Amino acid sequence: MPAAVSNVVVSGFTTLNSRARERSAISTEAQSVQQAAGDVVDRVERSQALFGSKSTAISQLWALANECADANWNADGALPIDHLSVYGAQALVRALPDETPLPEFAPEPDGSISLDWIRSRNCLFSMSVGRNNRLACAWLDGADSGHFVASFDGENVPPRILEEIARVTKGGNAPVGPR
Amino acid sequence: MLPSGLAEIVDNDEDLTRFLTSSSLFNAAGVKPAAFMPNPQNRETSVFRYGSEPRERLWRIGSEHLTAGRTLHAAAIFKARHVRSSQLDVVPQEPPPCHANIVGWPWSQTDPELGKSQQKELATLIAQQAEVVRR
Repeated sequence: MPAAVSNVVVSGFTTLNSRARERSAISTEAQSVQQAAGDVVDRVERSQALFGSKSTAISQLWALANECADANWNADGALPIDHLSVYGAQALVRALPDETPLPEFAPEPDGSISLDWIRSRNCLFSMSVGRNNRLACAWLDGADSGHFVASFDGENVPPRILEEIARVTKGGNAPVGPR
Repeated sequence: MLPSGLAEIVDNDEDLTRFLTSSSLFNAAGVKPAAFMPNPQNRETSVFRYGSEPRERLWRIGSEHLTAGRTLHAAAIFKARHVRSSQLDVVPQEPPPCHANIVGWPWSQTDPELGKSQQKELATLIAQQAEVVRR
């Protein structure tokens, strides 16, 4: 964003923010303006918090790609992390609904990136993002486990994946904590 | 008997080590499944027939195994029986001394992602049983 535009935006938001916090409005119109300003401020603050955490996650993704940019990074013949995997993982993180917890990332030997939601070692959901839009997924819930493949169109996270994430983050059936 | 002095068949109660060269392969809960995924070329996962003690020897084996410039962050320790209960097997392959491979990973030429999802499930089962030893 150019500096001049950025200053205008920040200055406008600051004015809006102070308007939203004002407690001296007296007319109905003024109260409506105050309410609307408050709503806008809340929305902006929420999106900044969200954007901030997604942005941190995306930075972590690129740091991981950089760490595993050379072949044999695992001393067992691993391929370098593929930039297409990073772009795919980035799109997936961006597409996650606001209320969905963000994943941890791990490098995989075929150049893919694993996105993991880990409640405990007995309860987790893991998904590989590679060079194409098909996602290899596996889950563990106590003594039960399974796998499936889902397709990601770049914008909408498949419902099955959201269900698995929700199941893990809400506890599943596995006992929580170390065995 | 192998050159290392170890038996030619890996016993179910033997400790195995997978060296972890990225701090992203484990967290406070344990080892992540990605740590056990197979090499895409030979379709095997390299391990050493060694447990957590003595610790000094563990890190020496790991350091000798590493590519120059890489950092050894931790080791995942688990039993051979955990590999076999995941429908895989572990077979010795020396040199280097004490080296072995996890073999038998599912693979699909017609649907690579389906094969990979099966691998991930098995890797998850091994990871569930593994302990992290941090360096």
